[in-house]
Amino acid sequence: MPSQGLKILLTTAVLVTAFVGLMWTTMQDGTQYYKHVDEVMVDPDQWVGKRLQVHGYASNISWKPSTLDYRFDIEKDGYVVHAEYTGIVPDTFQDASEVVVSGRLEGQKLVVDPGGIMAKCPSKYEPKPEIDAASAGDAEGPNNSGGANN
Amino acid sequence: MATIGSYTLLAAFIVCAYAIAVSVAGARRRSLQLVESGVGAFYSVTALMTLASAIIVYAFVTEDYSIRYVDRYSDSVQPLFYKLTSYWGGLDGSIMFWVFLLSVFGAIAVKTNRESQRELIPYVVAVVGAVQLFFLFVMIVHNDPFATYLTEAPVDGRGLNPLLQNPYMAIHPPSLYIGFVGMTIPFAFGMAALITGYLDDSWLRAVRRWTMFAWLFLSLGLTLGMIWAYEELGWGGFWGWDPVENAGALPWFTATAFLHSVMVQERRSMLRIWNVTLVILTFFLTIFGTFMTRSGVVQSVHAFGEDPQLTLLFSIFMVVILTFSFGWLIYRLPLLRARNDLESWASREAAFLLNNWVLLFSAFFILFATMFPTISEAVTGQRITVGPPFFNTWMVPIGLVLLMLTGIGPLLAWRKSTLSNLVYQFAWPVGLAIVTAFGLLAIGFRVWVSGLCFALCAFVVGTISQEFIRGAVVRRGATGTDMLTGLIGLVMRSRRRYGGYIVHVGIVLMFLGFAGSGYKLETQVMMNPGDEVELGQFTVQYERVSETDDGQKQMITGHMTILKDGQSAGELFPARWFFRKHETEPTTEVAIRRSVSEDLYITLATYDLSNQTAAFQITVNPLVNWIWFGFAIMALGTGIALLPESRLAFIAAKVPEGAATTSVLLVSLFLTGLGTTVHAQIAVPNGAELTAEQKQLEAELQEELVCVCGSCSHLQLSTCTCSTAADMRLRLNQQVSLGRDRDGVYQHFIDTYGSQEPIGAPIGAFNQLSWLFPMLVGGACLAGVGFVALRWSRRGSEFQESEASLPAAGNDVQLEARLDDELRNLD
Repeated sequence: MPSQGLKILLTTAVLVTAFVGLMWTTMQDGTQYYKHVDEVMVDPDQWVGKRLQVHGYASNISWKPSTLDYRFDIEKDGYVVHAEYTGIVPDTFQDASEVVVSGRLEGQKLVVDPGGIMAKCPSKYEPKPEIDAASAGDAEGPNNSGGANN
Repeated sequence: MATIGSYTLLAAFIVCAYAIAVSVAGARRRSLQLVESGVGAFYSVTALMTLASAIIVYAFVTEDYSIRYVDRYSDSVQPLFYKLTSYWGGLDGSIMFWVFLLSVFGAIAVKTNRESQRELIPYVVAVVGAVQLFFLFVMIVHNDPFATYLTEAPVDGRGLNPLLQNPYMAIHPPSLYIGFVGMTIPFAFGMAALITGYLDDSWLRAVRRWTMFAWLFLSLGLTLGMIWAYEELGWGGFWGWDPVENAGALPWFTATAFLHSVMVQERRSMLRIWNVTLVILTFFLTIFGTFMTRSGVVQSVHAFGEDPQLTLLFSIFMVVILTFSFGWLIYRLPLLRARNDLESWASREAAFLLNNWVLLFSAFFILFATMFPTISEAVTGQRITVGPPFFNTWMVPIGLVLLMLTGIGPLLAWRKSTLSNLVYQFAWPVGLAIVTAFGLLAIGFRVWVSGLCFALCAFVVGTISQEFIRGAVVRRGATGTDMLTGLIGLVMRSRRRYGGYIVHVGIVLMFLGFAGSGYKLETQVMMNPGDEVELGQFTVQYERVSETDDGQKQMITGHMTILKDGQSAGELFPARWFFRKHETEPTTEVAIRRSVSEDLYITLATYDLSNQTAAFQITVNPLVNWIWFGFAIMALGTGIALLPESRLAFIAAKVPEGAATTSVLLVSLFLTGLGTTVHAQIAVPNGAELTAEQKQLEAELQEELVCVCGSCSHLQLSTCTCSTAADMRLRLNQQVSLGRDRDGVYQHFIDTYGSQEPIGAPIGAFNQLSWLFPMLVGGACLAGVGFVALRWSRRGSEFQESEASLPAAGNDVQLEARLDDELRNLD
């Protein structure tokens, strides 16, 4: 008859092993490297084929008319990665908006996952910077087309 | 004004420090005078925080933009309602609102428990005071909501973000704050019990209702957040496992565990260490959640500021909480030993224990996964993120286990369940679950997770219905009334127990909604006029995209015709709005066709007015409305469980036979009558195209007509941003597009809203009276019901003797005895 301590030890070992095993297997599919553009593009070959979340600022957004195909750049500190995406973009996805983009690097190009663009949402804890108000006049309004420039 | 506010906060800080010092000194020296002085000072903090709150609200209402906080979160065109809610719209104000709530809750808790918990009160004052002191310190040194501009004040404010100018968003934060702050009170009593060593069950009685109250508001806050995300953000879902959402969910799990675990201590004097630990953890997680969303320590789609100083202050505070509370817990471990052992795993206390473990694991798993990027970066130097699929992989099975425990718990007996008892209790619920599972398979349901969830929902419903029916049968036998009266009497006599079961019904409905997402259909399409898309039973036809302007914002609207199974099912008008001051932040106006079985949910993404192409996201969300309905049932159950025992005892007294049945029938008739006056929401387009003259008339009328919502001080339609004003603007647009002149539009509004109020005319005495009339009738009805209830309760006491002499008519004497035994112990 094993002692009480041994029982507890064995139960704990089984539970911990099961937990770590399950955690490890589920993490294989669900994880992504979170990198800023400059960290990726300083040595892009290292990241080719890996699942990435790239953080930076969107620029040169273009949209193929009558399709949901987008091309844009993500910039940070002078480094740029070109991205391709098919699908609907968030409301706040515009030139100079802060974005986190999920996808895989293929060569020098980031192929974005479906629904993989996250533009930072406004937060009640982060007041709108004054610079935005100043630049609002320059921003493109909803004059003719929404979502992106042609 | 700002100076008075700053000094008020400083005074609150000093008085709070005094309250803590004097209360502790009074408790240690056993000086009643010092304790009284501490309590008095504690109440004074409440008065000072009320004053500070009044000052900031006054500043918002009077548009005092010399105060930076007022400038940042409001502007002159903001409706009064949103000016008021801007109080908690930003970080500085939300901290002040936190302290204000805590001071009010603390004062109520101290006042109501002053006599019954004499030994604990000084330390309750000290602990609540210490939490207040920390937040007051943060405000004074770092986040002063009364800070002013050193240079000239701006003429107008920057305004609250349009996305946050939403009724759900106005109520969601205070609900969460009430939930978070409310959890401080159980923590304070728990710590007071640890410090004094009075660790019997009396502190639990003091905090049980507080925890339930805070838990209800936490649940409300989370649900409102889900509704807001669903209706306002336009991505088709309601929960994305974002750190902000997770921060709110963490204490919910531990508080839920505590609410269950506390019953085991009351009944069996077990799980005493668990209960103190859960109270501490719940409080800690409220602070940690706040820290997580304010410090920038985790990455979120929400643009939180990174504030190293605030991070440092919160880190120190959290270390102090953990050290202080777990230090006392370890010191008092000998006093917390269980007085009974677990006799069998087939017992109710074992089910509660398992429930505790699963809920605690849920909280820590979410915490771990939320912090995983930060942890991985600290350990490996690589920031690795985990997304919603990872959370779902774990939380879906955990949720199903919790749902199963919801059904199992009430079926098990305390101490030990015999085999025959298990068969007797489980037969009906398990049978119902099996029939449901096979029924679903037979009609072709193939998503096994959702199918399992439906079967477990049936199991829980089986359990609860069995408890209600058996209880009602016993009560009918004991009191000689009909079944329905017996059922109502049963619920009112044991409000906590049966209120809890009603909460479980709400949980089941919410799980039905969650399970429905397994059958979600979604597509993203670029459409030309005349194109159509089929999704599930729906065919969506795209007609055109239009542009309108209501003076406050530009509205781009898609016009869609909906067919269901080939039959016309109305029109939907998804839109994008560009507010004048926030043109770079368009808002998505989702169009939803709601029904009990599913929502058709359409968002307009991109568009081109020149060639009329537009991109849409179209989603069919099955059963999603059951989540919101489930919460309403959950709130009802919690409300019943929260009803005071003694003050409403007359309701639970014996009622004349059939009285409850009659009352329910009358209420049903009333509701049926009410139902006929409620119209289904009619989808109206977001604006028709107008000629130049019509546009001019529309603009003029928007200046002349005022909003009738009642919360915005009758702002002009051109300036009010509330949903009522939006509806009125659409109505105005329609009327003008129909070619009506000014008088015609006026008449239409008078006909629609029943008075001259929308055209800005002063409300006459008759109209005031007509507003008052329903209230008077309602008040008279309430008074009548109260009078009748009192009469019944008196008659009940007159009949007590004769009732006692009645023979027990129930067939199951054992069950009756067990029920009465449990009711006595649980109430």
